[in-house]
Amino acid sequence: MSVQSALPDLRESYPPHAPHAVPEQKTSLLGLVPGILLLFVVGYAGKFVEHAINTYTKAHHITFPNIEYVLWAIVFGIVIANTVGLPKVFRPGVATYEFWLKAGIILLGARFLLGDILKLGGISLALVAVAFALSLAFMTWLGRAFGLGAKLTTLLAVGSSVCGVSAIIATQGAIDADERDTSTAIAAILALGALSLFTFPLIGHSLHLSDHAYGIWAGLAVDNTAEATAAGALYSSEAGKYAVLAKTCRNALIGFVVLAYAIAWARKGLASAATEKQLQNKASFLWSKFPKFVLGFLLISLLATLGTLDPKLYPHLANYAFLGFSKPQLAALGNLSRWAFLLTFAGVGLRTNLRDLFKQGARPFLVGALGEVAIAAITLALVAGADRVFHL
Amino acid sequence: MSEKPVTRPLLSLDTWAVLLSLALALFVRFGVIKSVSW
Repeated sequence: MSVQSALPDLRESYPPHAPHAVPEQKTSLLGLVPGILLLFVVGYAGKFVEHAINTYTKAHHITFPNIEYVLWAIVFGIVIANTVGLPKVFRPGVATYEFWLKAGIILLGARFLLGDILKLGGISLALVAVAFALSLAFMTWLGRAFGLGAKLTTLLAVGSSVCGVSAIIATQGAIDADERDTSTAIAAILALGALSLFTFPLIGHSLHLSDHAYGIWAGLAVDNTAEATAAGALYSSEAGKYAVLAKTCRNALIGFVVLAYAIAWARKGLASAATEKQLQNKASFLWSKFPKFVLGFLLISLLATLGTLDPKLYPHLANYAFLGFSKPQLAALGNLSRWAFLLTFAGVGLRTNLRDLFKQGARPFLVGALGEVAIAAITLALVAGADRVFHL
Repeated sequence: MSEKPVTRPLLSLDTWAVLLSLALALFVRFGVIKSVSW
């Protein structure tokens, strides 16, 4: 079998589908340009409207709540995608929003000191573990109660408790689920993710949550990384930062969860031959499922931290301080991250298909929705508890 | 019948994102990009 190298197929996530349903034709780099330009135009329109409203209300002494550009960009995207539709020429480029999301997260590392990541990341990981166990048990029970198949239940449980679409796709391969189940689970998770964009900030404001507590809650409870980042940024820039941190901790666990499921299904004799073979080397299996952008995020944060260390307090690290960034450089990296997220949020709107909300079966959606409400409540209680103890 | 070649990505999306971000970080670190406004 001959193997050719190519750029990754960036259309994999537009429209979201099961991995085996990837369209045949490949995209050239030039083919990405129209869609990326559209992402920029939609995102920048959001930023422009936020600025225009702020300037107008200030000049006319009108009291008006600040609506972040994130909401405008998402709404403009949803309106375009669900009225005139997205012409084919834009689709490959629009699908790159996932790429900008990851680049944005890595560059966001510049706004975190490693110590903060270790502290908040540690708390987040502990919360993730508890929330994960509770939500997985609840979703599995709910799926059985509603008579869904074991594989669809597993996909919904993993999608809602770990990290959305990427977790579903990774688990699909491991448990050999069929495309119909995978597509149903993806549609349910995406539809619920779109709803959370509008409900989470409202709940956060009504409960007067702090930026940190809200951000960690959004990162723990909203499934897809793009939606979790957007739900956080809709609250405030600081909340967006913490939503990304909590979500990154969840993402880092994806390999372990998929591995556990693969082993469980292999023991039952239900895993595919390819999965059985992969399981022979568990470390390599884990590495293949580990999201590599997490390492990039940690590396940038390490470099950011080195630049801010006081050589008197850390004399043994003084020799490495030259590797770090200065304050203006950190500000530049933070702003580059913001531009990458601007493209991401436009993409979140442009890929939201409202018709899909109603097209899928009622039962998987109901199971997903009930599960999401329970997970949101569980994680909210956990974050409120952690906030009291650790003062997030 | 000739076997259809299997096309695999040269690098994963994550790896491309890491490479782009590190390249940008280097440009910032060595002054090629001096400041970025928002």
